[in-house]
Amino acid sequence: MFMDVFCDIEFNIQLKKETFCNYSLKIDDKEISLSFPQLLQLRNKINEYTLSENLEHIIANENFVLLFVADKKHLLFLEIPKLLDLKDEIAVCFL
Amino acid sequence: MKTAIRRQMTIHPEVMDVLNEQIALEMHASASYLAMASWCDQRELLNSKAFFYKQSEEERGHAMKIFDFINEAGGAAISPEVHNITNEFEGLREIYEKSLDQEIHVTQSIYKCFKKARSVDDFASEVFLQWFVSEQVEEEDSVRSILDVFDLMGDMPLKMIDERLPTE
Repeated sequence: MFMDVFCDIEFNIQLKKETFCNYSLKIDDKEISLSFPQLLQLRNKINEYTLSENLEHIIANENFVLLFVADKKHLLFLEIPKLLDLKDEIAVCFL
Repeated sequence: MKTAIRRQMTIHPEVMDVLNEQIALEMHASASYLAMASWCDQRELLNSKAFFYKQSEEERGHAMKIFDFINEAGGAAISPEVHNITNEFEGLREIYEKSLDQEIHVTQSIYKCFKKARSVDDFASEVFLQWFVSEQVEEEDSVRSILDVFDLMGDMPLKMIDERLPTE
């Protein structure tokens, strides 16, 4: 019953497993298909951007990052809150 | 989701992260040894030059061993950027002391990886890292033996000390 309530909620950022080795990242109105190596690549980039010293650098400068994902097929514009949300969403996937 | 990720990767993601940091450290050590080898080469310190060229190759070999392991275990090995290599040194003894400090740093980092693998029950990585634990004992010992020679020979000219350093 509790889970059913969450099924109806649309999150701004959602990472879902579609098939055995394919994942889909829904971010705002964009839906990006990711293979597992592409997901690992994204995880690595996000983890690097969200290191405290790098976050400070981003905040002190542009206050956003432009991030290529899925072997440069897509470009994401991420402000700090969205960057942190994406990090959390990916981290849950690897728990 | 958890099961799906673990089917793709046998390595634990947190262990993968620390091993990628270890690759960066080993590659930095390799580049640093290359700088030391060059300093010795320019001064015709033949035994030391051979020692540091060999060390440079060995460190790169360690990095590649970890690199292969991560990818074989379904993870993503990252080719690191190498920064802050010192090419200027005051003398041969300083170079060997820096070399020992570097080896100790690498050893501590291997222990960190080992502890991480153990804490998350990543047994394959733990077994893989055992080789590195033993290897680091040898690496530190070889540099310490050379520093002993410096202590024994005191203020002798560099060239004479170099000629008496142990070679393999």
